[in-house]
Amino acid sequence: MELRINQKTYQVDADADTPLLWVIRDDLGMTGTKYGCGLAQCGACSVLVDGNVVRSCVTPVAGVVGREVTTIEAIETDDVGKRVVATWVEHQVAQCGYCQSGQVMAATALLKNNPKPSNEQIEAAMVNLCRCGTYNAIQAAVHDLAGLSATKGEA
Amino acid sequence: MNLPIESLNLTDPVNVSRRRFLAGTAVGALVLGFGLPLGSGRALAAAAATERGTQVPAFLEIRPDNTVRLLSPFMEGGQGTHTAMAQIVGEELDADPATFLVEAAPPGEAYVVLDNGMRITGGSMSVRLSYPTMRRLGALARAMMLQAGAEKLGVPVGELTTEPGKVVHAASGRTLTYGELAERAMDLPVPDPASVKLRDPSQFRWIGKPVKRVDAYDKSTGKALYSIDLKVDNMLHAAVQHAPRLGMTVGSLRNEEQVKAMKGVHSVHQLPGAVAVVAERWWHAKRAVEAIQVDWLEAGADSRLRSMPADFSSDAYVKRLAAEKGPARDAENEGDVAATLASAKTTLQATYHNQYLNHGQLEPPSALARFNPDGSLEVWLPNQAPDMFRADIAKRTGLDPARITLHSPLLGGFFGRHFLYESANPYPQAIALAKAVGRPVKLIWSREEEFVRDALRPIAAVNFRAALDSDGMPLAIEAVSATEGPTEALAGKQGEKIDPTALEGLAGKSYAIPNKRIAQIYVKGPAMLGYWRSVGNSLNDFFYEAFLDEIADKGGKDPYELRLHLLRDNPRLTTLLQAVGELSGGWKRGPFTAEDGSKRARGVAMASPFGTQTAVIAEVSIEHGQVKVHDIWQAIDPGSIVNPAIVQAQVSGAVALGLSQVLVEEAVYVDGKPRARNYDLYPILPPSRMARVHVRIVESGEKMGGIGEPPLPAVAPAVANAVARLTGQRIRSMPLSRYTFT
Amino acid sequence: MNNSRFARTAGWLAVPCLIAAGLLAWYVTREPVSPFESRQVAVADIDPALVARGEYVAPLSDCVACHSVPGGAPFAGGLEMATPLGAIHATNVTPDRETGIGNYSLAQFDRAVRHGVAPGGRRLYPAMPYPSYAKLSDDDVRALYAFFMKGVAPVKQANIPSDIPWPLNMRWPVALWNGVFTDSAPYVEKAGQDPLWNRGAYIVQGAGHCGSCHSPRGLAFNEKALDESGTPFLAGALLDGWYAPSLRNDHNTGLGRWTEPEIVQFLKTGRNQHAVVFGSMTEAFNNSTQFMNDEDLAAIARYLKSLPGDHQRDGTPWQYQSVAATKPNTPGAHTYETRCASCHGLDGKGQPEWMPPLAGATSALASENASAINITLNGSQRVVAAGVPDAYRMPAFREQLSDQQIAEVLTYVRSTWGNRSEAVDAKAVSKLREHTDPASSSPIILQMR
Repeated sequence: MELRINQKTYQVDADADTPLLWVIRDDLGMTGTKYGCGLAQCGACSVLVDGNVVRSCVTPVAGVVGREVTTIEAIETDDVGKRVVATWVEHQVAQCGYCQSGQVMAATALLKNNPKPSNEQIEAAMVNLCRCGTYNAIQAAVHDLAGLSATKGEA
Repeated sequence: MNLPIESLNLTDPVNVSRRRFLAGTAVGALVLGFGLPLGSGRALAAAAATERGTQVPAFLEIRPDNTVRLLSPFMEGGQGTHTAMAQIVGEELDADPATFLVEAAPPGEAYVVLDNGMRITGGSMSVRLSYPTMRRLGALARAMMLQAGAEKLGVPVGELTTEPGKVVHAASGRTLTYGELAERAMDLPVPDPASVKLRDPSQFRWIGKPVKRVDAYDKSTGKALYSIDLKVDNMLHAAVQHAPRLGMTVGSLRNEEQVKAMKGVHSVHQLPGAVAVVAERWWHAKRAVEAIQVDWLEAGADSRLRSMPADFSSDAYVKRLAAEKGPARDAENEGDVAATLASAKTTLQATYHNQYLNHGQLEPPSALARFNPDGSLEVWLPNQAPDMFRADIAKRTGLDPARITLHSPLLGGFFGRHFLYESANPYPQAIALAKAVGRPVKLIWSREEEFVRDALRPIAAVNFRAALDSDGMPLAIEAVSATEGPTEALAGKQGEKIDPTALEGLAGKSYAIPNKRIAQIYVKGPAMLGYWRSVGNSLNDFFYEAFLDEIADKGGKDPYELRLHLLRDNPRLTTLLQAVGELSGGWKRGPFTAEDGSKRARGVAMASPFGTQTAVIAEVSIEHGQVKVHDIWQAIDPGSIVNPAIVQAQVSGAVALGLSQVLVEEAVYVDGKPRARNYDLYPILPPSRMARVHVRIVESGEKMGGIGEPPLPAVAPAVANAVARLTGQRIRSMPLSRYTFT
Repeated sequence: MNNSRFARTAGWLAVPCLIAAGLLAWYVTREPVSPFESRQVAVADIDPALVARGEYVAPLSDCVACHSVPGGAPFAGGLEMATPLGAIHATNVTPDRETGIGNYSLAQFDRAVRHGVAPGGRRLYPAMPYPSYAKLSDDDVRALYAFFMKGVAPVKQANIPSDIPWPLNMRWPVALWNGVFTDSAPYVEKAGQDPLWNRGAYIVQGAGHCGSCHSPRGLAFNEKALDESGTPFLAGALLDGWYAPSLRNDHNTGLGRWTEPEIVQFLKTGRNQHAVVFGSMTEAFNNSTQFMNDEDLAAIARYLKSLPGDHQRDGTPWQYQSVAATKPNTPGAHTYETRCASCHGLDGKGQPEWMPPLAGATSALASENASAINITLNGSQRVVAAGVPDAYRMPAFREQLSDQQIAEVLTYVRSTWGNRSEAVDAKAVSKLREHTDPASSSPIILQMR
C-alpha cells in the first residue's frame, strides 16, 4: 500500500491491520514515535493524520491510506510545530523524554486547530500520560504558546 | 513487509540505518560502539593514575569543532544527571555545558567515581557522591589543555589562562581552542590530582545555575534514542509470552507448527519461564507469540526464582502481614518504650499498610544482543549499573567480561526499574535468542509482558503504638513493620543486619520523642520486589507522618505546631518547616472555603531521604467522592545544589509520582496473577489529577544530598493528613481511590 | 461474575419454592424414552468417521465452553456458574468410567443431552441447554457420543458438588419445569423452506442454542419461544450483565442492516463492518461459531434473515447524523473525545473491521444498556480467530472512570450520530461494577483435545 508520511510517499507491504505505529517504527525506521502501551492509554505514539492527533498504536495502517500522516520527525517543518518545539526547550519540559514526542504532537494538533485555546480546551486536549510527571511544565509551555499566563505551578 | 531496508537507506534519510549511525548522532555513535581508544597508549598512560576519576582520556573526547564528548559514569533517565555532569566538568574544564555531548560510559574501573566505590546510578547518589571527583576531573583536563597550549605556543604554562573552550595567552593575544589542542593534550600524562586547584564556588558560571538540559532539544523532537529504538544490520525482532506466574516453566507448546507458519515468523523458542517468537517485524513476533498455546508447569522445588503460588492474593497478604506477631528486630530502640506505654495515661495505636506498585516507566523493557564474528557479544540495554550487568552476562554466557561490550542508551523512565533483577530484565532472553538464531535480536516486552514480570514496590503492614504525656505531647512511639525490604528480596533472605531499605522513613526520623522503637518483622513474600523511586521512604514516611498526625490529634495539638515543637532543637529542619509554611502563605490547616466554593483543608508532612530534607504541605478537596489535590508546596534542603531548574523539575516530577501512589496506583494480585497488565487497569496519575507544585530550595550548606528521589515521600502523608482534616476519615492505607469520600 | 453464563439458573431454581409438591413420583424420576434404547454400540466398534463428525458437532454445540476450564483438561468439567442460591459446576464429560461419562450407554447419553436426565433419572439443571439440544438429530447425537467416547481422553477428575443447600438442591421439580417448558422432539424440516434455511433453523434452534442468550425468558426463566413460530424468538435478552441483541430483522437493534455474507463473516472471523464480537459472544465465537463450516454459516445467515423484525419494538430506523461543527461541550463528550475517539473515532464510525462503530451500534440503540456499561467497565476478552488473538482489544475503564463519568460518556454515545436511546444512570453503572470483573487481557483458549 502507498502511504503519505511527512510529505513523502512510501510503498509498504504491511498487513492491513498492522498498527501505523509499527509501520512507522519498524518498516520506515522512524523511531521518534514511541510505543508505550499499545492500548491507546498513554499517547506516546501520537501522530497527526490530516492535522488531527491520533494514537498510532490503535490505528490500523489501512485506515491512513490516502491521508497525510505527520510524525515527530517532521514536526519542525510545520510552523506551529517548530514553535511548540522551541517552547518545549525553553520550558525545559522533558525529563526522560519518552512521552514527549507524543506530547509535542498533541500540543501541535491543538494549536493548529485552535491557536488560542482556553485553559479548559488545553486540559481537554493535553491528556497524554507522563510518568516523570512533567505535567506542570507541559501546561506552562502550552499556556505560553496559547498566549495565556501560567496558572499552574511554577515549573 | 518486504520493502528492503537497505535500499531505503540509500534513498531516504529518515530511515535509521547503519549509514545514519556512521554519520554519527550522539547516540548513533554509541550504537556503533566506537568508544574511546581505551586500548591505546593514552589509556595505558592514564591507567597509571590510581585515584578515582582521574583517567581523563577515558571520560573526555574534545572534537575539532570544540564539542566535548563526555562519557558519564551515570545513566540518564530523566533526572538530569547528564546535564549535571556537563555542568560540573564544564565548570572546571572551562567549557560551556551547552557544548557537551554526554553519553553513558561503558563498564570499566575507570568510571567508578562514587565515594562508596560503586558504579550504580540510583539512590540519588550520582551528583552528591561524585561531585568533588567530577570537578577534579574537569580541572585535570583543563590542566592538560593548558600544558598542551604551553607546548604548542612555546610559552610557560604559567602565562596561560583559559576562557570557555580555549586557552589564552594574554601577553601575545594568541588563543587556541580546546579542539585544536585536544589531540596533543590527551597524549599528555594526567597531572598529579593533588596539583590542580578547583574553582572558587563564588566564581561558578554554571554550577548552581539553571543551565539548560543537554538533551532537551533531542527529546522534544523524537531524536533521542532509547534501547527500544535501536537497530543494527541484519537484526531480527523478538517478542515473548511469559508464564502467567513467576517460577512456572514451559511444559509443551500445543500449536508450535501453526505459529511457525504464521506470517513473518522466523522461529519459535522455549526459554526459562517464557516462550518467544523471532520474526522480521516486532508486530509479527508479538501476534505470533500471543497465539502460542503453552502448557505451563508449576515451578519445581529447585526453581531459582520465587514461585508465585496459584492462590496468592495481595489483599489477603496484607491482612496476614498486619497479623504477624514476630519475632522482630530493632532498628532503633531508645529510652524505654514498653514501660512508657504501660504507664502512660493516654496511648493510641493504629495499623497502616500500603500497596504493591509497578514502576510503570513509559518505555517498555527491551534489549538488543549481537554476537560478533569473533565470538564477542554486544548488548544494548537499559540498566543502571553497567558493570554489574556485564558481570551477570559473563556469568550467564561463560564469556570473558572483556569480550562483552555493553551499551547503556537513554532510559525512558527510571524510578528504580533498571536494576539487576533476576527475573525482570529481557537481556538474558535476547542473548539466548541471538545465540539461537545466529543473528542480532532486539527483544521488546509488550506492556502486558512487562507488567507480569516487573519487580514490585514492597508492601508492609505497620503496627504503631504511642504514648502521650498529660500535655498531649508524645512520650513514646513504636512502629513494628511486617515487611520484606527490596534488598532482602534480591538476596532471597534476611541479612545479618536489618535491610535499611525496609525501614527507612520509619527509622531515621528527627523528631525529639524520648522513647522510640522501630522494628521489623521479616516476612518473605512470594512476589518479586524491587526498588521504586525513594524506596522504603515511599511507604514508610506515609505511615509515620500520618500516624504523627494521629498523635497530634489525640493530644489536641496542631500537627504543624507539634512538628515545630518536636524539631525545636534542630535548626535545619525548623528552618525548612517554616520555609514550607511561608511558601504556602502561612500554615492554615482548615477546613476553609476556597474562592471556587469548594471546601478544602491542608496537611503537612516531612521526610529525610537520601541525605536531603523535605517538607510538604498539601491542599485538598473532595470532588465526586475522590480526593482532588490542588496544590503541593515543597521546601527541599539538599545542602547545596548544582542546577536549580533541574531540582525544580525533579521535585515536580517526584510530587507527581507521590500523588500517583497515594491517589490511584495499585498492583493487585488475584489467584497469583496481576489483575492489571496495562495502564487500563493500572492507572497512573493523569494530567487531570496533577497538582500545582510550588518549590522552595533551601541551601543549608550541609553535606550535599540527593534530588531525584527525596521530593517524593512526604507527598502521600501530607495528602492523607489533609484528607483526614477535611473529611474526618483517617485513611491508613494507599491508594485513596479505594475509598469514597463525602 | 462476568462469565457466569448461567445466572439464568437462578430463575428456575425458584421453581421448587413455587410449585407445590405432590405430583406423581414416576413423572419426576422416569427416564424418557430414547430411540437408541435397544441400539447400544460397543465403543470399540465406533467408526472413526463418526468420531470426526462428532468433533464437528461438539463445537457446533459449544460443549467446551462449559465443560472445560482454562488450563484444565478438555471436557473434565469445573466451570463454576454462580447462582444466588449457590455455585454449581459443569461436570466431567470425559469417558472416564469413574468420574466422567465412560459408563454411559448411547441411550443414557442421549437422555442427558436431549432431555436433561442423567442415568438413574436424576434431572440436570437446565444450565445444560437440553431444551435446545432436544432438537438435535439422532445422527448428531450418535456422532457426539462417538466423539466423547473415543475422541476425548478420559480424565479422572471428580465433579464438584453444588453449593446449593437442601431443600433447594432437590432436582426432581426440574422434571415438572421440563414438562411445561421443553419440547422434546428433534427438529423436523419445515416444508416450503429450502434446505439451507432448514439447516440454519436446525443449528440456530438446536446445537447452536442461540436462544439461550438471545431469546427473552419468562417468569420461570423459560425461553419464551424456541423457534420462529413465536415472535419473542431471538428478540434480544438481558443475561448476566450483557444484553444479547435481537437476531431478527430489526433495523436498529437486530440484524436488519446486516447482509447474509456479513453475518457469515461475523460468525467466522468475529468481526464485520458493523460490529466486533464482545461480551459473552466472545466465548461463543472463540469456541464455537468460527469452527462452523461455510455452508452451515450461510445456513444460519439465511435462517436469521428470515425472521421478521418488529418496527414497534425497534423504533424509528436509525440514520447516521454528523456531529454539529460546534461539538457539544458536555463532560460525556469530553470523556468520549479523550478516552474513546482514538479507536471509535470522533465521528463514531470506528475503524471497521477492527474497532467497531458506535454510531448505529445495537448496544447504543437498544434500550437495555447493560452491554455498553459492561464493556466500558470491563473491556473485552480477547477474540481469538483461527488461533490468533486479536490485534486490538477494548481496555477496561473501571479503574479510570467513575460511575458518573461512564454514565455520561455512554449517554453521549447513545444520543449522538443519530443514536437515540435513553440516558444511562450512574446507579446502573454502579450495580454492574459491583457484580462484574474486568476481562482478562490474556487470550483464553479452551482445548478440545
